[in-house]
Amino acid sequence: MARQEIIVRTGQLVLRPFDKSDLKAVESYFGLGEVRRYLDWQLRDTIDSKAALDVIRKQTRLTRPGDTVTLAVVRETDGALLGQVSLQWTDATAAQGEIRLILNPTFRRRGYASEAGKALLDLGFERFQLHRIFARIDGGNDAAARLLRGLGMRLEAHYLEHALFQGEWDEELHFAILDREWQRGDGVREISRNKVA
Amino acid sequence: MTHFPLPTEVIYAPDYPLETARLRLRPFNRGDVDAVFAYRKREEVAEFLFDEPMTHEECAEAVRGRVGQIAFAGEGDKILLAMERKADGLVIGEVSLIWRSMADGQAEIGYILNPDFQGQGYATEAGVALLSFAFGAAELHRVYARCDARNIASWHLMERLGMRREAHFREHARFKGRWDEEFVYAILAHEWRERD
Repeated sequence: MARQEIIVRTGQLVLRPFDKSDLKAVESYFGLGEVRRYLDWQLRDTIDSKAALDVIRKQTRLTRPGDTVTLAVVRETDGALLGQVSLQWTDATAAQGEIRLILNPTFRRRGYASEAGKALLDLGFERFQLHRIFARIDGGNDAAARLLRGLGMRLEAHYLEHALFQGEWDEELHFAILDREWQRGDGVREISRNKVA
Repeated sequence: MTHFPLPTEVIYAPDYPLETARLRLRPFNRGDVDAVFAYRKREEVAEFLFDEPMTHEECAEAVRGRVGQIAFAGEGDKILLAMERKADGLVIGEVSLIWRSMADGQAEIGYILNPDFQGQGYATEAGVALLSFAFGAAELHRVYARCDARNIASWHLMERLGMRREAHFREHARFKGRWDEEFVYAILAHEWRERD
């Protein structure tokens, strides 16, 4: 039976599961400190990009709470892999999910993250019927905060010195959006791989 | 003075009893069941707690469980103290401090006051004493508290204690059959020392 893999097409992007052949692209951003910091626990302790790719290649479905779907963000025109997005199902009773977006610095400031973010929220609210989706970022990451606000997410928490991270006090922001606050984006359609020629 | 035997391997413990102008914060004992039942049986007290209103028997069990929770020996340990009025020895509520992280110096503070004694500043008095211990002898870095957004008395108290609202979560969880709305308040050690 064909696997119902998640593929999402937006204006300029295709979000699709990772493949073994994506290693070089993953290496180009995975080693960056700013990227590693907000990876989920399965990836945070992963030393090399190949091991990380092995983990995210398998993150293709949300079967039970705790599961994560990770998708490669690919530019449609030239097939360049720009980064990755993930959606974790954190709570079943309250239908909660957490999103993470990573964009290779080379491809930033061109609206790709926003486009991928919209598609990710659509996926969470439409396909997975979540009630609330949240994102956590470092307090100093202004670009990420602007991005999340741009997606319509509200600042819900601003933690100061609530934990030590590599010997320094951490500052963390939480953004969130409820299903009824989310406006479904235009031009986002989702198809399954086995339906494509 | 009553002697309160501490468990072995204690790292931090208040010097009991913790005294304020009108209160003694001291370990629970088995004689506290009736006083605890007087407020834990009430609907309006249970409304914002994880527990439902308690029977006398459940209170007896809860009090038994609290007797030894008086010191920090490791992460997750709880200090649960009765709020006793000096004037008449009446237990009018309880306060708690939970050691959430040893490495990061984090703790969570909590309190329950018998509604008959609200509005007289007792909870603030107890909160100040517990935070003084938290940032003094216990050398903590940050203390936080959580409450239901509708529990106005609770977050007003946190603000009186000089705590900042750090989070306002909407519908992030289910609580007693409905959507939860939660505030998180916090205060850092330096903020506590520098408060007016």
